[in-house]
Amino acid sequence: MSEILKKNKFFLAALTISIILAGMTFGNIPGPATQTGVQTVNGTTFNFADYDSVDHEMLALFNYLDTIVNDEYQGYGEWNGWYAEEQHGLHHYVLAFMAYSVSFLFEITSGYRTSHYRDFLYDLIKKMNTTEAEWGNNSIEYKEWSHPEYNYVNYYWPNQTDTSDLYVGRFRGPANIMWTAHYALMMSLYERSFNTNEMTDEITHYILDWNNSLTTDGFGHPAEGGIWGTGIIPCEPYVVFVQCNSVPMVCTKLYDGLYGTSFLPIWDYGLNFVNNDMVNTEGFFADGYYLYEPTGFYYASERLPQAYPGLALSPWTENPTPKIAGYGNAWALAFLESLQPEQTAETYPRFIEYFMKNLSDDKAFIMDSYNNPDGFATYDILATLFALHIANQQKDYVTRNRLANFFFNSYNKVWSANGREMHFDTLSLDGFLQSIAGFGYLWGNLPVTIKDVTEARAAEFWNYPYISAADDRNIWVYQAQWDSEKDGFILNIQVDQAASLTFSNFASQPTAYSRGSVLAALQQSGSDYTLTLQPGIYQLVIM
Amino acid sequence: MNEESTARKEGSDEKTVLELLQVQEPKVALGTLLTALFGAVIYIVLKWISWPYIMVDLFTLGLLPALAVIALVGAIRGPIAGLLTGYLGELLAGTLLSGTMITMTLPAFAYGFTGLVVGLASYELDNGRSLVKLSIMSIVGMTFTLLLVTVIGLTIEGAATMAVIGFVTLPLLTQGMLTVAFLTPVFGRIWYAFMIKVFPTTL
Repeated sequence: MSEILKKNKFFLAALTISIILAGMTFGNIPGPATQTGVQTVNGTTFNFADYDSVDHEMLALFNYLDTIVNDEYQGYGEWNGWYAEEQHGLHHYVLAFMAYSVSFLFEITSGYRTSHYRDFLYDLIKKMNTTEAEWGNNSIEYKEWSHPEYNYVNYYWPNQTDTSDLYVGRFRGPANIMWTAHYALMMSLYERSFNTNEMTDEITHYILDWNNSLTTDGFGHPAEGGIWGTGIIPCEPYVVFVQCNSVPMVCTKLYDGLYGTSFLPIWDYGLNFVNNDMVNTEGFFADGYYLYEPTGFYYASERLPQAYPGLALSPWTENPTPKIAGYGNAWALAFLESLQPEQTAETYPRFIEYFMKNLSDDKAFIMDSYNNPDGFATYDILATLFALHIANQQKDYVTRNRLANFFFNSYNKVWSANGREMHFDTLSLDGFLQSIAGFGYLWGNLPVTIKDVTEARAAEFWNYPYISAADDRNIWVYQAQWDSEKDGFILNIQVDQAASLTFSNFASQPTAYSRGSVLAALQQSGSDYTLTLQPGIYQLVIM
Repeated sequence: MNEESTARKEGSDEKTVLELLQVQEPKVALGTLLTALFGAVIYIVLKWISWPYIMVDLFTLGLLPALAVIALVGAIRGPIAGLLTGYLGELLAGTLLSGTMITMTLPAFAYGFTGLVVGLASYELDNGRSLVKLSIMSIVGMTFTLLLVTVIGLTIEGAATMAVIGFVTLPLLTQGMLTVAFLTPVFGRIWYAFMIKVFPTTL
């Protein structure tokens, strides 16, 4: 024995160190894939792989987000756990894109519509609309609009200070598209997901406001190109952006689908403007078009002179070329695809060719500017996050996965003690990224994208059976939807502790089937039916 | 394997260059090529597995066993086999697992450098001192790989310095170095024990 040890000292030492290292570094392994199977019930075959699904980690990430959004944990104007104290001007984007990401999740399990999901989106919308009067410097109104750095609380168009000109100021005013559009789209997605009509009037207010801004001079006279003559709306005074205006465009499309209106053509002039007057020679959208020289505008003297009106110029080139942003293009491409799919499909490969940098075979990132390839900072990470979505939407999963490896593999996954919540620990880089990485994983990986949710649901959808109440904190719902062709409800669920689920809209007594055999008949409770499940993993067909 | 030693004896008589490269005869060259292909397949399989890791601040810590295979093939079959295992393994892994080949396959070539460097020396895989030498040569080889992929990323791919250092250089330093330093001798000794049990006449 001692001879063996003596002859193999280094081997044993290396083996021991390897085992210790492996033990010390054991973490961040991929979460379990959602199990799917096939079962035949009453002669009808249901293949669970045919239906979209979410996985365990995605639901754990949602549960984490719930802890920083739900008013059960903190008030709408509070930011505990957001690591956002040092930030301003970004909060509303985080809230908005979080809302979009969870809407994709809700679409996948469209038959699971309990207060667990509905309250989350409701609270997110309330958090987006916090006022200075109630929440002071913690409000979105302050952080997004009134912060001293912006200095444009009230102003007139075209002369900022001429009170006889058109007043376009205010947080909720006509020239703050970077807030009004996101807020309206959040509410529209709430109505699309839950059909409560609670927010319809407020959405309509913004649709009518955009209609006024885009088709009149603001004083009630018809005007081509609207108040600003471009068919699109500023978010920072005196400058318009494609990416910001892509949001109200898809919101208007969704509104038309939800309420049977036809407002979308109000954006025709603007869409034509961005496609023809806001692109560079490679066909990428410019990052801004100045309508007018903003009062008090700081412009570095060493830069090329900026023309007004004119495209914002690149700070990275010696010749005057438009400023092109990777984040803005990825965002605009993703949102505009539902309005111009052919053009997006044609531009996307070129976008990847110009903006993507390879780091290894399984990792790549998107530069914010291909005119500044040696720069690497926040906007490159942001561009990668936006590109994740357009890559996913274009079904370019090779690129999507490589960008995701870059974005998410730099953080440890942290699970809560009860195993219900998980987040990416971004504190070593920037704590503010923590919530972004949380919804970003959904944003980049879910099989439903922004293009899908700009289509309203068919009217008959609201008559389909669905789960209207449940012991949400005891369950993980991976698949839940009514198959209207096969007249069966698909439910793929993990139950941690005994849980009851209430189903609405079943026309007659339903029965739950597991592996093709009867599991249980649902119990009638008024017009609803209840199913009680013991701990376990179930793939159920209920019909 | 063929009649040539699978663990090339340390301190054996002076070799010609062709012998060092393990291509002195067609049959030996074929064996070298087959060994490289076999190594590349193992490399791909090991790379396919998502190995655990943890982040300590901005540093990734963990083991990447595929990298140790490159060094091991170099040790048992010489520099050509090591180079080809790294090159083909990384190239095919990129193509099959990630659906891509990057920067004219140059990073894959850089991975082969670990095997090339390790293969320049001879080892007795049942000997502790020789295993220490294998560990050291693997670190030297991985250093070449690390420098090459960094330079390729910065110059030919033209990626930002911060991105290359943060996402290419540092992970290879904190995961790659640890792996080749400790796992290569472990794999080498296990390989030797396997061969002496199954193919004793080849050693």
